[in-house]
Amino acid sequence: MRAETPPLTLPQSAALVSTAFLLVAVALTSLGPLLAGSAWWWLCAVVAAVVFASGLGLRLLRVPASLVPVLELVVLVLVLTLFFGAGTAIAGVLPTGATFAHFGELAAAGQTSIVQQSTPAIAVPGILFVLALATGLVAVVVDIVVVSLRVVALAAVPALLPVAVPGFIVEGGTDFWTVLLTGAAYLLLLRVDVAVRRRGELDREPEGETAPRITQPRRASAGSTVGATLGLAGVGLLTAAVLAQATPSISNPYLFGTGDRGPLFSRGVNPFIDLGEDLRRPEPLPAFHYSGTGRERPYFTLLTLDRFEGDVWSASEEPLVEEQTVDVFPAPPGLDLGVARSLVRTTVVVDEVATTWLPVPYPARSIQGLRGSWFWEADSFAVASADDDTLGQRYVVTHLDLDPTPEQLRTASRALPDELEPYLELPGGVPEIITTTTEEVTASAGSPYDAAVLIQRHLRGSDFSYSTEAPVEEGYEGGGFDVIAEFLEVGEGYCVHFASAMAVMAREAGIPARISLGYTAGSRGVGTLAGEARYDVDTHDLHAWPELYFEGIGWMPFEPTPGRGSVPEYSRVSVLADPGATRAPLPTPGAPATEGAPVLPEEPVDGSTAAPVTDSGAPLARLALVALAVALALALPAVIRRLVRAWRRRRAWDGADAAAAAWAEVEATAVDIGDPPTPFESARGFADRLLARDGVADDADARAALERLLAGVERHRYGPRPAPAPDHPLTHDLDLVVHALERGLQPAERFRALVVPTSLASPRESLAQRRPSTAGA
Amino acid sequence: MHTTVAGTPMPADTVGASAQRIVANVESVIDGKHNAVTHALTVLLAEGHLLIEDVPGVGKTVLAKALARSVDCSVSRIQFTPDLLPSDVTGVSVFDQSTRQFAFKPGPVFANIVIGDEINRASPKTQSALLECMEEHQVTVDGTTYPLPEPFTVVATQNPIEMEGTYALPEAQRDRFMARISMGYPDSASELEMLGTRETSSPLDAIGAVVSDAELRAMIVAVRNVFVSMPVKEYAVAIVRATRDDRELRLGASPRATLQLVRAAKARAAMQGREFALPDDVDALAAPVLGHRLVPTSRALGQHHNDGDLLIAEIVDRIVRATPVPLGAAAGR
Repeated sequence: MRAETPPLTLPQSAALVSTAFLLVAVALTSLGPLLAGSAWWWLCAVVAAVVFASGLGLRLLRVPASLVPVLELVVLVLVLTLFFGAGTAIAGVLPTGATFAHFGELAAAGQTSIVQQSTPAIAVPGILFVLALATGLVAVVVDIVVVSLRVVALAAVPALLPVAVPGFIVEGGTDFWTVLLTGAAYLLLLRVDVAVRRRGELDREPEGETAPRITQPRRASAGSTVGATLGLAGVGLLTAAVLAQATPSISNPYLFGTGDRGPLFSRGVNPFIDLGEDLRRPEPLPAFHYSGTGRERPYFTLLTLDRFEGDVWSASEEPLVEEQTVDVFPAPPGLDLGVARSLVRTTVVVDEVATTWLPVPYPARSIQGLRGSWFWEADSFAVASADDDTLGQRYVVTHLDLDPTPEQLRTASRALPDELEPYLELPGGVPEIITTTTEEVTASAGSPYDAAVLIQRHLRGSDFSYSTEAPVEEGYEGGGFDVIAEFLEVGEGYCVHFASAMAVMAREAGIPARISLGYTAGSRGVGTLAGEARYDVDTHDLHAWPELYFEGIGWMPFEPTPGRGSVPEYSRVSVLADPGATRAPLPTPGAPATEGAPVLPEEPVDGSTAAPVTDSGAPLARLALVALAVALALALPAVIRRLVRAWRRRRAWDGADAAAAAWAEVEATAVDIGDPPTPFESARGFADRLLARDGVADDADARAALERLLAGVERHRYGPRPAPAPDHPLTHDLDLVVHALERGLQPAERFRALVVPTSLASPRESLAQRRPSTAGA
Repeated sequence: MHTTVAGTPMPADTVGASAQRIVANVESVIDGKHNAVTHALTVLLAEGHLLIEDVPGVGKTVLAKALARSVDCSVSRIQFTPDLLPSDVTGVSVFDQSTRQFAFKPGPVFANIVIGDEINRASPKTQSALLECMEEHQVTVDGTTYPLPEPFTVVATQNPIEMEGTYALPEAQRDRFMARISMGYPDSASELEMLGTRETSSPLDAIGAVVSDAELRAMIVAVRNVFVSMPVKEYAVAIVRATRDDRELRLGASPRATLQLVRAAKARAAMQGREFALPDDVDALAAPVLGHRLVPTSRALGQHHNDGDLLIAEIVDRIVRATPVPLGAAAGR
């Protein structure tokens, strides 16, 4: 059947290709629920368009069908280089080894990012690259299936891949309307194909008396084909739509992960367990070192656990938000201008910790110098990456060092915003010991703040002692109700227990509370970092602490764990004894200024934050660059061909194989112009054909030159050895013949011969090695 | 074996010029038969024997005669008839009364060019006598061997075997001829021209030798010295071997055919002024040199309406076109 398919005309090819592009572009929209924004779609659409357009152009130039996909892949690489390889590429489009290395990194980052992010994921460069690459490959496959093979129905397989993806990832699968639209695009493609086929059939219809007799049944046959095709396709699409809706969402953390946030706190359901194991590690591993400008050394928060469900503390699962990049943070929640503050800049160098959570002091204002894409989470300001990890990072984080007075804390409004309601939630079944202990401890408190300080004092009191081993031996590892009750009973535990006990008790007392996981300030290290004293933090400095919310001040850390970290000044018990003894609540003069815009670090920072490529403007300039890249890619074979010709011309100047070189160039030129020598004709037979060609037949000089070249190559091939070198350079004869051959071409043929020199793809050497063989019938 | 033509070889381009003169001379008698004339001269220069096969009256004998007259060498003509005896060809020993001894009286075969007209009309016995001469280049009568002059070429004409009163040459004897050509009917223009020139007198009378005896020998030596590269030899072998494996052929060409094909190719190369043979030479001579040695299967014959010559021509053409042309050992880019 296929052999009978007539060659496509340009409008037919264009119709098929543009419909195929439409199908791919529409199918891509089904990835919408998985990715934030729409920039990724435009990028993919441009990539697909370039691939399809290059396929169309290549076929227009009558490039052999087998070469088209290869050249399309080349164009794809060039486009990817243009978008993603800038800096490593020559002239922006020609990839170098570094480009491909960069591609590898991007692909790896994309893969990591796909695993790390939940939906809708931010289209970081890695994901964009993977998407663009996949789209380009899909376009190439669709192009082969639709235009080269003309098995249009099969285009559904590659084109509907994107439609199938959401079914595996998000609840509810692919959007119904997207499926419908994709199906419509597919049907349109089938319809266009049927129309093209019928046009071809009718064109081949013999003129004359037989025509009406044949046309009638064929028309009917074509119609029934359309009906059958549409029916079949409709059933298939309906099934696909139903399946897409019905497929249960498979919670696979390795695709667009849900909650699996990397190696540090990832393995179990309870990050506390991991933290405890790290603390019990006999030899601590260096985590990171830092230096800061602050008067006090900060705690470094990795992530914040804000949900308590009775047996486990967990972080609420929020997808990363594309706009929440770490170059600027919003104002910390709940913080009023009246609170004294200072802006502290801390330089952090991560040593051996690889996690997707960044150790950052709370509340951060900005982070500079990170590799990869990092985003802050609302409320907690925890910083997570979509495509990279912390290993080896060096960054400068600016945060606010808050210094509220006890008075401010004490007078904080008890009326809480609604959005803090979750931080007060305690599930049913609170063990009695928690309730009673809280009541006992906070009985004398006149304000939430006093209650908090009293709870902290209670836990830091003599009834409790620090031990990383006891909870494991006693079997109350973790942070749930049972564990806290056991802990309050036994009085031995480590930060996890103290922090969760205080958080639960604070909630019991009506104070919004959450638990931060991270590192304490560490210990003084040797030497300096960025001109400041260096501090080293290791895995033994891992810590958990409660943060309590006070209206007007925001989230403030407390330190209930004895022997660990440092108790914040505002929470020391001494303040209880003398409520009015501390400084007056005066706004720091510089504070409002710092509140506005983040202050950038003055010193240059190593590395740079990789900005999503789609951020850059001037799409026209990019398109122009794409066009330029395509033009260059098209010109490349011509340039190589000219170089080969020059090389042969030089060899044809003189020497023993001058005649062979000159003839090889004649043959190559003939291949380029579509009149190649065959293995079954002699040089003379081939020359006879050339002599009859336009441009040569009417040029006596060229004919004579061709005869001389022919005599030369015949002597070279079949004459006695050693063959005498030609007595004059053959270059003149060669030029005469080549120009005459090219002069005889139509402009379009000449252009094709120039741009698609097929001689580069058909080496004549293989013919030289052939041996005479028995030619049977 | 027979003696060989000795002498100094002629330069290649002179061979070419001389050959052109001969061809032109012959063509002044026979119009529109360039291929036949060229092949005939090729066979003469390659020291082979030529079989001209066609219906009566198309100029077979004229061609043979014109060729013989164009070169200055001895020519004899034997008209074969059913009652011709072998001794009529080779010669006889007769008793000389004066010397009282048997003296050998050479037959017409003792000439440089022997025209055997209608060879298939003779009895097989007589045919065999001639064919032995062709192979051995000598005549043995009454125990005495007489060498034939060099060069020695038999140009035999033959009517198609369907004609009455003929004894078809067996395959083995056809193999002795280097090439077989057909004259074919002249086109109308040539035929018209012939009417004008030959109405009154025989044009054969008008032509004379354009190449001397010595020149002919030098040409033959030059042909012998033509270089045949290994690729061209391999090409000839490939073509001949292909005839042996062809499904439409009952009998393929013999090794002698390979030898004669290469010899003929050398002659063609020299006639074109080249001192080396080309695959094109092999191509051009494959049909005349191989054609008469091939025997098609009866099935193939049936499919071609029993037109054996046409079938053979098609088969040879197919084989030649399907055999890759070697590019030579030093072919490069």
